[in-house]
Amino acid sequence: MKYRFTISFLTLVLSFSSCTDLLNPEPVNLITNDQVLKDANSARVVLTSAYRDLASLGAPKIIAGDLTADNLIHNGTFTQYREISSKDMSASNGSASALWGVIYSMSYIVSFLNEGLPAIDIPQGDFDQITGEASFLRAYAYFVGAYTFGGLPIVTTTDVDENKKIPRATLEETLDFIESDLLYALDKIPEESFNSGLATNGAVKALMARYYLYRENWTEAEKYATEVIDGNGVKEYILEEDYEDVVSDFSTESILEIVYSANDNPGTSTNFSINNLFVGRREIIPSSEMVLALQNDGGSRNIVIEFDGINARGADNGWTIVRYGPFDNIQLFRLAEMYIIRAEARAQQNNISGSNSSESDINIIRQRAGVPLIQGTSKNQMLAAIENERRMEFCFEGHRWYDLIRTGRAKTVMDEFTSNWTEKDELWPIPLREIINNTSLKDAQNPGY
Amino acid sequence: MNKNLLSLFSCLFFMSVLVQAQDNEVQISGKIIDSDGAPIPGVNIYIQNTSTGTISEFDGNYNLTIPENSQIVVFSYIGFLTIEEPINNRSVINITMTEDTKQLEELIVTGYSSQSKADVIGSISSLDPAVIKDMPITGLDQALQGQVSGVSVTQSSGTPGGGIMVRVRGNSSISSSNRPLYIVDGIPVRDGGLSTRSFGGQNDNALSTINPNDIESIEILKDASAKAIYGSRAANGVVIITTKRGKAGAPTTFNIDVQRGIIDPTNTIEVLNAKELLALQREAMINAGEDPDGAGIPGVTDAVDTKWQEEVMRQAIVQQYQLSTRGGSEKTQFYLSGAYREEEGVMLNNDFKRATLVANIDHKATSRLSFGLNVNLARTKNNRVKGDNFLDGVYNAALTSLPYYQPYDEEGNLFAPGDAGYAGFPNFNPVGQAIEPRFDTYATKMLGGLYAKYEIIPNLYFTTKFNMDYTSTIEDQFEPSTSAIGGFLQSVGQQGYGIYSTTESSTLLNNNVLTYNTSIGDVHSIGGLLGTEFISRTSRSGSTVGILFPSDDFTYLTSSGLILDGSSFLINSGLISFFGEVNYKYKSKYLAKVTARYDGSSRFGEDRKFGFFPAFSLGWRVTEEDFLQGISWLDDFKIRASYGLTGNERIGNFQYLATWGATTAYNGIPAVGPATLGNPNLGWEQTTEMDIGTDIAFYAGRIQVVFDYYYNVTNDLLLSEALPFTTGFGSVLGNLGEVTNEGVEFTLTTVNIDKELNWTSQFNISRNKNIIQQLATDEPQFSGYSTFTNNTHIVSPGKPLGTFWGLKYLGVDPGTGDAIYYDKNNDGKLTADDGTFIGDAQPDFFGGFTNTFSYKGFDASLFFQFSYGNEMINFGNTTLLNSGEDIENNQSREALKRWQKEGDIASIPKYEFGNTFNNRFSSRFVEDASYLRLKNLTIGYSLNGEILSKLRLNKLRIYASGTNIWTLTNYTGADPEVNSLDGSTTAQGLDLYTFPQVRTILFGLNLGF
Repeated sequence: MKYRFTISFLTLVLSFSSCTDLLNPEPVNLITNDQVLKDANSARVVLTSAYRDLASLGAPKIIAGDLTADNLIHNGTFTQYREISSKDMSASNGSASALWGVIYSMSYIVSFLNEGLPAIDIPQGDFDQITGEASFLRAYAYFVGAYTFGGLPIVTTTDVDENKKIPRATLEETLDFIESDLLYALDKIPEESFNSGLATNGAVKALMARYYLYRENWTEAEKYATEVIDGNGVKEYILEEDYEDVVSDFSTESILEIVYSANDNPGTSTNFSINNLFVGRREIIPSSEMVLALQNDGGSRNIVIEFDGINARGADNGWTIVRYGPFDNIQLFRLAEMYIIRAEARAQQNNISGSNSSESDINIIRQRAGVPLIQGTSKNQMLAAIENERRMEFCFEGHRWYDLIRTGRAKTVMDEFTSNWTEKDELWPIPLREIINNTSLKDAQNPGY
Repeated sequence: MNKNLLSLFSCLFFMSVLVQAQDNEVQISGKIIDSDGAPIPGVNIYIQNTSTGTISEFDGNYNLTIPENSQIVVFSYIGFLTIEEPINNRSVINITMTEDTKQLEELIVTGYSSQSKADVIGSISSLDPAVIKDMPITGLDQALQGQVSGVSVTQSSGTPGGGIMVRVRGNSSISSSNRPLYIVDGIPVRDGGLSTRSFGGQNDNALSTINPNDIESIEILKDASAKAIYGSRAANGVVIITTKRGKAGAPTTFNIDVQRGIIDPTNTIEVLNAKELLALQREAMINAGEDPDGAGIPGVTDAVDTKWQEEVMRQAIVQQYQLSTRGGSEKTQFYLSGAYREEEGVMLNNDFKRATLVANIDHKATSRLSFGLNVNLARTKNNRVKGDNFLDGVYNAALTSLPYYQPYDEEGNLFAPGDAGYAGFPNFNPVGQAIEPRFDTYATKMLGGLYAKYEIIPNLYFTTKFNMDYTSTIEDQFEPSTSAIGGFLQSVGQQGYGIYSTTESSTLLNNNVLTYNTSIGDVHSIGGLLGTEFISRTSRSGSTVGILFPSDDFTYLTSSGLILDGSSFLINSGLISFFGEVNYKYKSKYLAKVTARYDGSSRFGEDRKFGFFPAFSLGWRVTEEDFLQGISWLDDFKIRASYGLTGNERIGNFQYLATWGATTAYNGIPAVGPATLGNPNLGWEQTTEMDIGTDIAFYAGRIQVVFDYYYNVTNDLLLSEALPFTTGFGSVLGNLGEVTNEGVEFTLTTVNIDKELNWTSQFNISRNKNIIQQLATDEPQFSGYSTFTNNTHIVSPGKPLGTFWGLKYLGVDPGTGDAIYYDKNNDGKLTADDGTFIGDAQPDFFGGFTNTFSYKGFDASLFFQFSYGNEMINFGNTTLLNSGEDIENNQSREALKRWQKEGDIASIPKYEFGNTFNNRFSSRFVEDASYLRLKNLTIGYSLNGEILSKLRLNKLRIYASGTNIWTLTNYTGADPEVNSLDGSTTAQGLDLYTFPQVRTILFGLNLGF
């Protein structure tokens, strides 16, 4: 009888010990690597997280394209924007590491799909569509990266040990890699796809037009721009008549835009949306030069800024960018750009005036903007007009700095804007954390940083 | 300590019943009583130098069969002086035992058992709650401040119910929790914050749900010998709290405690008035070569001169009412208590309310079986206000708000964000930010347990416990359109912003412990325990955010036009443990103890699921040696040493798995993205601890000294190994780093005068030297707030945690008025590479000094608390003393010491609008934050015997108590005892507009009948 308690004690211990559940609880909201890819649907869900990275690329790309140049100035408290604005970027700049990080976070997902999809049972159509979109997304991210940082490490696997010491490729190699991704995507993504929230055949061509423009391959640039403008029998994209409609979501001329919803921008999160930076905090405001240029433009394109005297104090000119509403999408490609790309390609090929010329392309856009039409007289006059046209038409869409660099005009324009501009500002620094943690990048920092 | 437990533990000394065969035996019997005539059960009775013995019955009677020629019978009982009585052929021997007044015989709760203080060879500090009972203490963690050596306690701010940082023997972890394990009545209780939202760095505090006035004793386990029984959870120290229980055979008593007092801030920051600020701003403009009028700065006027700090602060009230009763028969004892506390914050709209209920019941069913329960219920409501690193906070905005604006317009309405007539972003009306939003946190706590204890064979006990700690938190928040978030941010819709979130956490625990104690003669004592424990933890949470409310009259999400950010979540975790302990004592002289615990945790990786945590300790009571017997003034002299391993299991859940998780949907399509890289070897952080200490008592216990030296090495620290982003991940977790803590602790307790006037003192002082030995890589990590040179704090090998990083400020150039910084790399330029070590938050030493006096009915106590050598980043001054970098903020009066004209020898650089150079983060913002504080002064008076009995009372005491009444410090911020990033280990010693400690003056009444 004395041992009754001992026995029941032991029974208790044993019954609990069998509860190994206690040591192996199931996580919620998390799945392990091997559970991720099962079928077409799960592959699509994984691909969507690459679109999430695209969404994270939206704001930093606008910052890079406009704040590094002469369109925007800093007016707030964050060091990272102040540095870019004063052309005093340090390698530890938060915007640089955010943009860099997104490129490779997306790259990992694309590699994961490329490695995993062949092993699962999935219809060929879905396979092509998903890998095609994935290749496009990677091409776009690397494109932005290559012109922001220069040659990039090219990551094509999920092997952590390999990728943590991967060296930088040259700019040429990086651009070739982008081209191969684009050609793959062009081949795989079917023609009949119209959703401007996702990578479509039109989006691939639009990026190719931009890609060849940047690479100064004028015939290819013109070719792809024309394909997008003319469409495949049917015109897929139609110019809006009113510039005001251009800046709203899903306009008829939108080729690809990053779709945001209220869930993306609660406004109190630390990952500030572009609206919060421009309007909520007024962390970044238009430069006085940009304001003047927009006012002098004369047409309807100055609707993207607004003045409020209450803000005008000290260095603050009182102007606010109202281009992006609280949950507005960010347009990556729209038809107007195809016309201006073609105009530039045609000017470079000395097709200056007349029908189907640089002049006619530019005037389509100027007419819509309500500004006086121009006459093409010379290649140089036309190129100068195009530079100005791009600044007006695409202000606060993240193009300006890239345009000035690729056309070699940066030094002339920027020296006029600020005395702080130096040659180093033609590229952003490779993030310090990459240099520190990747031995192959030890001596690979961009000059001047 | 109640008698029930005393009698239980007297059995530790019960001899094995080995009756030797003897030819002639006789019987002796008798009754054992104490000096009051009450019977003493459980007295250990044996014949000297034999193993023949017994223990006294419940009524104090005993019977013992002894050999006829026996000479001396020994009576011993914990807390009483041992009696060696010659038998002289008597058959009835009645004994009156007298209590041993030496404190050495106190029982110390050591975790799963308890032990006589004389036999303790681990480092355990006890805190008598009597010393804190008159103070307006909200939570039990606050009670530890300045009272216990080796334990550093910092209140993060003066906000009621706010976060408190407790560190036992330093910081042993870099990335995981450094909070000690709190065990209340055997239940590991939730610590840290209750709310899921940190308000600009400040948290609330889960331990504020336990009423300190219900606590009977607090023990802090500090070395491996004491802690190893808690294995993988013990590395940060263990705080064992025992609540009050009933007393056997004592008359039922009732106690009424009332406290009521007023609260004021200890300090305010002197800022500029309107005239001074406007003049300064105009000067800054002129220095920048700009026209002040063109820049929109009003002319110098004091037409409006708002004292913003006064606008958001008030004199607050604290009150607490408690009714408790305790008593019981020999079989059943109880303690019941109900209390209500209401503590207003000094900031408008900030207060903390708590209702608590405690019921503890013990019952002895048979001579072998006893059982009982303890229940602790609490409900708290905390009205929080935003602060610190929130632009839309209250106290911070009151410091920085421009004095030439006012909170109300001409019609008496509060200015809302964006209103004409009020400063634009980043300024928000602090009065509106205090009054308009609703940040209510409701917590419900249920702490309960059942136990049963059974004596299987004499001296072998089996105890089983089923315990639960349940905490539910509801956060009910609304920021109307008249507030910053709800009304200003376009992205939020400018029509209100509401959050409703709930969190529920529970810990279910079962433990089963066998204890056995025996003595072999009076030479060898052996005791030990063996146990298992199962802990299942669950945390469930949900949160919903709504925007676009029809108007500010509709403040609940039901009315919101758009619901977003809905979430729900569940985490389970568990711990399975086996533990044991063996104590050995040889002739009360030599003591040894071996402890071990084997823990399996769901948080550990597949390849490292179980950890083993052993400890060994030795003690030598030198006073028991013959060569010290002649020295009558030396009561006790004990030397002890311990060595062992402990762990830190709080490394997060599922960190070892390679996982993918759902991310926000894109374009209406759900998304699953990579979450973490896995590491199947991920395990606990392990601390190897060594301690050498001594306990000395002289002159009948009037002088007591405790001294300890320790050296702890914590390795396998959980750290993120930074990965280049090219891997697709920012980092992977591993057990990588190493930190050491080395220190000395000294406590001196004296009875200075013991006459009609009684004066006792307790002084304790501690030093802890914390050094980071190793990180994941040679590269330092950064923490805190971002600065020109990376961040305010650096985690660097060779330095302590909480080390500051920035430029070294060399002063002001008298010629130009510009700041001069140390050009570390001598390249002629000032860049981020010139960052250097500019101080740290670790004190050289800290401690407390308490004096208590009593004379006739009067009593008084004076409690000083100090910290020396710790530095603080006055980070608020990067805005409040910003050399004109911007003109959006008011400036501290220190700005009047700025450089103004060539030749000025000044400590503050010139004010020049837009000049960031002069305001770069540097040692200019690092200050000595040493302080000596009169933490508490209490004066009381108790009525004496005759009047009391006429009033049919047994106690009536009134008292006045002041807290934080005087502070000596060179720190120029509001308070040297704050931390803007509550709970942060790497970013300690940061003051970013942190609300200072408060001064409380209260009156109290204790009534007993």
